[in-house]
Amino acid sequence: MVPFESIPYRHSLIHRSYMEVKIEARGLSKNFGSFRAVDELSFDVKAGEVFGLLGPNGAGKTTTLRMLSGLLSPSGGEAFIAGHSMQSQQQKARTALGFLTGDMDLYRRLKPVELLTYFGQLYEVPKPILRERVAKLVDAFGITDFQDRFCEKLSTGQKQRVSIARTLVHDPEVVILDEPTTGLDIMASEFILQFIKKMAQEEGKTIIFSTHHLDEVERLCDRIAIIHQGKLEHYGTISEVKQKTGQENLADAFFQLVQQAQA
Amino acid sequence: MRIHIIGAIFRKEIKEVLRDKRMLYLIILLPFFLYPVLFTLIGKVGQSQQEKLTTEKINVLLSPELEGTAIYDALAQSGELTISLGAVNKEKLDTMTNGIGIKVETNVNQALAAYGTIPVEIMADQSKDLLKFRSRQISRVLEGVNQVLLQQRIEAAALNPEFAKPLAIQQVDIASEEEQAGKVLASFLPMIILLFVFVGCIYIAIDITAGEKERKTLQTIFTAPIKISEIIAGKFAAVFSVGIISAFMNILSLIVAMMIQVRLMGEEVGAFSLSIDAQGWFWLCLIIFLTTVFLAALTLAVVLLANSYKEAQSYVSPLMMMIIIPAVMSQMPGMELNSTTALIPMLNISLAIGAVLKGGFSTAMVAMVAGMALIYAVFALFFASQTFGNENVVTGEKIDFKSLFSLRKS
Repeated sequence: MVPFESIPYRHSLIHRSYMEVKIEARGLSKNFGSFRAVDELSFDVKAGEVFGLLGPNGAGKTTTLRMLSGLLSPSGGEAFIAGHSMQSQQQKARTALGFLTGDMDLYRRLKPVELLTYFGQLYEVPKPILRERVAKLVDAFGITDFQDRFCEKLSTGQKQRVSIARTLVHDPEVVILDEPTTGLDIMASEFILQFIKKMAQEEGKTIIFSTHHLDEVERLCDRIAIIHQGKLEHYGTISEVKQKTGQENLADAFFQLVQQAQA
Repeated sequence: MRIHIIGAIFRKEIKEVLRDKRMLYLIILLPFFLYPVLFTLIGKVGQSQQEKLTTEKINVLLSPELEGTAIYDALAQSGELTISLGAVNKEKLDTMTNGIGIKVETNVNQALAAYGTIPVEIMADQSKDLLKFRSRQISRVLEGVNQVLLQQRIEAAALNPEFAKPLAIQQVDIASEEEQAGKVLASFLPMIILLFVFVGCIYIAIDITAGEKERKTLQTIFTAPIKISEIIAGKFAAVFSVGIISAFMNILSLIVAMMIQVRLMGEEVGAFSLSIDAQGWFWLCLIIFLTTVFLAALTLAVVLLANSYKEAQSYVSPLMMMIIIPAVMSQMPGMELNSTTALIPMLNISLAIGAVLKGGFSTAMVAMVAGMALIYAVFALFFASQTFGNENVVTGEKIDFKSLFSLRKS
């Protein structure tokens, strides 16, 4: 496998679209014993894109995201983040990545600012920049009201705000959010969705967004990948999937694709 | 490894521990108050129990053959005994409260006049501490009577008093007070030190490994651009620090408690001093330091195998047994520090601490124990790194030994 950064024409204008690829899954596979959770998955996400990773429960979404983040080693294939291989250049790849899944919680006995500062230190953000960045995130996520409380005392919505702020504390180029609105009320969900949109549009961040709420996908995502039983069933824009299935809304199109795959 | 990353992880772990009041009380504050209170309480209870043993009234039933004899007179004068005469048998004694029987079946005065031997049975329920203690006291009184009668017989036979005592045997203890104190301390202090260090390490180790897994905070750190060795070093430093502080606080508390006890008991116990030279202190501190390194690494490695706080707690008892059993074995007669025992984990540490406390230890042997403790610590840290590197830590699957050596690439 040729490392992404060693490709010589990477900076050529002719290959501009390739150069802008920030996340790339190249034939990713994952076996747990004899069970194949992800089967040769390939897709890429370009700079500034919000990319939706969809699939029913057990489809392999979280496993795919964990391989992209380096939490799991692929049984086959390779993952690239901002041009760095997650397998051979893990430090660089992780530095460019902010990752959040529902399986991650906050340190109970730290306050939000302490938690953000701690992760900033782990990402080696220089002290003055870190201080400034934490202050901005506290302000942007409305953390000021509860910044003196320990994380264990925060509500679900407040915790999720701090969690997302944590993924952004080192100003990553790429953000992976696995079901970030699960368990949140409408107000908290809306806040998160607005922020995701803003991150992509104003800050040019590349975002992979996994959710079961297809209305959120329609609002936010430029392109999507639908996976079922570890295999890629669709990869393209939302209008392409609608066109492909002849359905008018994404939920019907998704349902049809999954049913076809099961048949 | 980057020191500032390790430092950040260490500071965060310590901050969380210091904010966990339950753990703070359990590891540091409780021992500091517990031992003086416990020792004083035990001393007071022991003292009152001792008083009860010596002052409680005992009913002594004597065979009628003893009436008007020297034995009767001697017992009547010894106080705290209510004496009565009657047939002495088990059934009769069972009906009495705190009853001890002295059974004689021969005519005492006739037997004495004939220079015969009178069989005397002291009958008591020896399963009761009070009756066991007092029957021994009665035995000593009767031994006194025996000596007087023997003296009378020697005089009557116009013999020299030394005639009946060819050997005058006396045990002379040439150990100094410090050596005696060292021997006493060596009998229990090694085990206590090991337990203190272990208890200090185990709870924070559980909290920052299995506890973090349960609270879903462990995998967050795995997504950061840091090496597994840095995570382990930071967490290990935190476990080690709490372990050594806990051990120090416990030992300090124990010494304070012992000093209070010695002062309370005054002249009964005499001076309690310990003489360890500078070299002894150096080795003692080094061994405690390396023991903490080893136990911090071991506890970290083992409890990380657990997926929950509760599961990790179930590992505490077997681990504690691994410490207590060798420590108890080290007190077995003939067990000493040599080139074989110096290789056995825990037993070697217990023997080395004991040897230093007793004084006159072999520096080479103690140095060997220190070296072995370091080797075991490195091995435990390697084991911990294998466990941390296992991707089942991320997925929450049970970590088995087969998968233990399939590392996540990092």
